[in-house]
Amino acid sequence: MTSALDRFLHTDRLPHIWCSGCGAGMVTGAFLRAAAKLDLQKETTAIIGGIGCSSRAAGYLDFGTVHAIHGRALAFATGIKMARPDFTVIVFTGDGDGAAIGGNHLIHACRRNIDITCILFNNSIYGMTGGQASPMSQEDDVSVTAPYGQAERSFDLCRLTEAAGATYVARGTAYAGRELERLIRDGVRHKGFSFIEAVSQCPTEYGKRNPPKGAIAMLEDQRDRSVSVKEAMGMTSGELESKLITGLIYKDESAPEFQESYQRMLERVQQGSDGGN
Amino acid sequence: MELWYTHLLREKLDQDSLLVQGNRASALGALDAGVRFFAGYPITPSSEIMETMARELPKVGGVFLQMEDEIASICACIGGSLTGETSMTATSGPGFSLMQEAIGYAIMAEAPLVIVNVMRVGPSTGRPTAPSQGDVMQARWGTHGDHPSIVLAASNVVDMYRLTMAAVRFAQRFRTPVTLLADEVVGHMRESFSPEKAGRYRLSSGDFDFTENYSRPDLVREVHPPHQLGAFRHPHVTGLVHDETGFPTNDPQKSAEFLRELHDKVAHHRDELCLYDVKNEGRGRVCIVAYGSCARSARAAMDLAQHEGLPVEVLHLYTLFPLPVEILQRVARRVEFMLIPELNLGQYAREVRKMAEQWTTVISMGKIDGTLITPRELVDRVSDLVGKYENV
Repeated sequence: MTSALDRFLHTDRLPHIWCSGCGAGMVTGAFLRAAAKLDLQKETTAIIGGIGCSSRAAGYLDFGTVHAIHGRALAFATGIKMARPDFTVIVFTGDGDGAAIGGNHLIHACRRNIDITCILFNNSIYGMTGGQASPMSQEDDVSVTAPYGQAERSFDLCRLTEAAGATYVARGTAYAGRELERLIRDGVRHKGFSFIEAVSQCPTEYGKRNPPKGAIAMLEDQRDRSVSVKEAMGMTSGELESKLITGLIYKDESAPEFQESYQRMLERVQQGSDGGN
Repeated sequence: MELWYTHLLREKLDQDSLLVQGNRASALGALDAGVRFFAGYPITPSSEIMETMARELPKVGGVFLQMEDEIASICACIGGSLTGETSMTATSGPGFSLMQEAIGYAIMAEAPLVIVNVMRVGPSTGRPTAPSQGDVMQARWGTHGDHPSIVLAASNVVDMYRLTMAAVRFAQRFRTPVTLLADEVVGHMRESFSPEKAGRYRLSSGDFDFTENYSRPDLVREVHPPHQLGAFRHPHVTGLVHDETGFPTNDPQKSAEFLRELHDKVAHHRDELCLYDVKNEGRGRVCIVAYGSCARSARAAMDLAQHEGLPVEVLHLYTLFPLPVEILQRVARRVEFMLIPELNLGQYAREVRKMAEQWTTVISMGKIDGTLITPRELVDRVSDLVGKYENV
């Protein structure tokens, strides 16, 4: 970690809890570089994590940070953003925290288009609890709760959040750190709900039961499976199977943002031009 | 503090009193106590609290959120609370069950919060439009782990107003969630009351003025300084056991100290938190110990029994937890029977028995058919008890 980014870290809380080879630190690094570019202010930036490996990132960052309960980071964040519209609100979540237990809050945060940036670290596994299947485990993936291979299908989180109403949807990988940094930076700048799926690797709990073995091989696999949005447009659905479409997938700057709509409603009511029904 | 909010409403209505529904009175009490953040999810029989907040909060620039479920509602309230807003939500049994994990978080993170639970018959969907007091022990022990609880119980419309205010003050002062229990009848009945009189009132346990913002958490030794977002540079808030810095600790001594202090800040202030009223003090061989709707029946039963030559004492509890140990034991020492009517199968009677059985006989009178306990039923039970005693 470069010293320039130390100002955003609680260096006294380090070393972190993540295993060697984990992608969580790489995603967090991309966030820190984006934070430096954005010049995020510590006093008015709130970072909310849920429960899980990824969500622990919040505890290392020197902003206003909340380590919430499992799956509910976005609900906490909604309350914070509504009470303090001047805050930059960022949620760190994982595939278990955000897509399983927190799935309902994810789609509703998208629907509201509230100005929150949600970075979902997707490592396809429950790492902290010891390698159980997640809704992002792929078919046939082996885990301690799917010892004969995962029989369920997984989500395409970018399609899900776009359909639910998110107005900035992007996918990056731990491998392509610069691209991820850019996607996060633009996501934070975007007014509205920004969803960034950060594909990450868990060599400890996922990698020990599924190919490829080891962090380096897993990162190379991210590289090899990535296709840009532009490339994907020229490919068939068969060719796209098991590929990761990366980059900015969807953006809509015209949709109303919830907090602003709420403020406009307050003004109408307080001016007496809306007596309600 | 001027009760400017209800005052504003009264300009349009009756000059001297408001005819208000219980749930609406709770919302007005919250507004008069300064609550400007509400997040909720519709559920019978509490929805009018939320509906009133939806209509009134925008007029005063507050935040009203209808969330996707009760879990999201209380979590949004915690989020609001972490920025310094005293937040409130309202629900009934099924929603209250969903909120339990987050209530524990608010206790651990010391986030002030008010939860109004307008109880219905349970378990499960139960009878949504019938009154019950079946959530008493859930209010005490619903979230996991050892934890303190502050639980108040409203017996009528004026209570809904003033105890919501009390709940806000207690939440602010002790930096912890406070639950106000009501039931379907209290929530839906309409009565007139004067907000000015309701905010300041006199009880046996002391005189209270919840119209003043007496919140001074810094004066409560056991309350930790708040980690408020935006108030200082880098607060960290977590549901993990933490130390005074806000960051997690696994140190056995520090974690025991922290958890002990969470308990102590409530336990050491029972005299302030325990609101109760004693009627006919020392006049009967039986004391009816009651809360919520049953306390109202108990007060009527007292008059009825008096008329029939059967003096009874009534201990009306407004605070259920922390357990009002001192007054329960004081009454237990002087009466032969403590009769405890409840719209459940004796949840609170068990608590009282633990405190009182070495001095008196504690009789539970439970009812779960979704109707209230009538004054007549109470007098008959008292007469039965006294008669039995005399025949011995």
